[in-house]
Amino acid sequence: MAKREIPEINAGSMADIAFLLLIFFLVTTTMDKDQAYIRSIPKKIEVKNDPVEVQKRDILAIKANSQNQLMVRGEVFNDPDKISDFVLKFYQTNQKAAGQLVMNDFPLYSVITTSQIEDNIDKILDEIDAMEAAGSPQDQIDFKYNQLAEWEKKQRALKLYGGSQLPEISFQANMRIEVMQATAYSIFAKIQTEIEEAIYELRDKEAQRLWGVSYGTLKRKEANENDKTKVKEEKGKLELLEILYPARIIEVTPKN
Amino acid sequence: MSKFKKEGKKSTPGVNTSSLPDIVFMLLFFFMVATTSKENDPTVQVEQPTGTRAMDLTPFKQRSEVDFLYLGKPRNPARAEAFKMGYALSLDNVVQPTPDGLYNTNAVGQWKKDKFDQKPARMTSPIELVITCVKADKGAPTGLIFDIRKELQNINALTIAYAVRDNSNI
Repeated sequence: MAKREIPEINAGSMADIAFLLLIFFLVTTTMDKDQAYIRSIPKKIEVKNDPVEVQKRDILAIKANSQNQLMVRGEVFNDPDKISDFVLKFYQTNQKAAGQLVMNDFPLYSVITTSQIEDNIDKILDEIDAMEAAGSPQDQIDFKYNQLAEWEKKQRALKLYGGSQLPEISFQANMRIEVMQATAYSIFAKIQTEIEEAIYELRDKEAQRLWGVSYGTLKRKEANENDKTKVKEEKGKLELLEILYPARIIEVTPKN
Repeated sequence: MSKFKKEGKKSTPGVNTSSLPDIVFMLLFFFMVATTSKENDPTVQVEQPTGTRAMDLTPFKQRSEVDFLYLGKPRNPARAEAFKMGYALSLDNVVQPTPDGLYNTNAVGQWKKDKFDQKPARMTSPIELVITCVKADKGAPTGLIFDIRKELQNINALTIAYAVRDNSNI
């Protein structure tokens, strides 16, 4: 039997098909990324407690009114790029004088030592044992476990930081964004940008000093690394930076 | 007598197009990889403010862990007059009615709850961590954003994202 030749498929229209697909993808997709500042909303509380008193020096209030004018700590100004300078000053003024009482208007720094951390962990562990034995409600025990996790985080951070003491900003130090109903979103976003910018700068400087890498590199490594032990390492570094420069942002609901 | 014989009219050979599909496919794959699918065009016009050091939401989007809210001026000029504030909220292309001429954000809670219920079962994040991204226009009043925030707080969806356009690292 004679071999029959298989006719070749005409691929001339392949390009047309590919073009069609290409154009379809060009039309239905977009290049621009969705970028945003992620913030958490405080949980709704059922029981109203008296508000905790916060010292004035621990508050960095960034205000904007309905005319989009800005005010930080009583100083009125128009250039929004200045906000990050205020944030930097807020964090850095007393940082060198950790553990001392300084008479100025900026949050104090305290030092935590290895023995302090160990004492606290022991104390909380004892408390948990006692509570479990007494059959306390689960949420109270959970609260203690959270505290324990917090101290263990500090322990890890201090080990990474080196030395025997870790400078820590006053636990009440916070930045609050106080806007009005009619304040433009661009101003609100600008305030967020400036805070983010300042925190990034602080953490970046510390990362450069400690490990000679930038904060951005650390974050990228943490997100893209597959090796589990390495991820843990990077995570520990980021945790340390977060303890040194915590970003506590309060967004105050506008009343008028 | 010349050595080189002049021939008659020479016809130019056709360009070989057999590699054209390859080129086009290459382009196609580039665009498939480099872009993300478009959300449906919102019915409100949003011009985002610029910012830096913002977080890239693409990984969250790929895990469908983010819902988008649009806050801007209605595109349809006839409708724009109905909004006294000039701004409307667009949830999945439904522009929210504004009965008293003011904005109405009551629908946000229900919308977010529905969205969460529709999410695939493989997504294990609790509702607290599911991001709601607010894409607001430059001039949108911040009061509106706080209203949205309050609605989200009521249903315990506690992660919000304020969208900006980040031009620093493109």
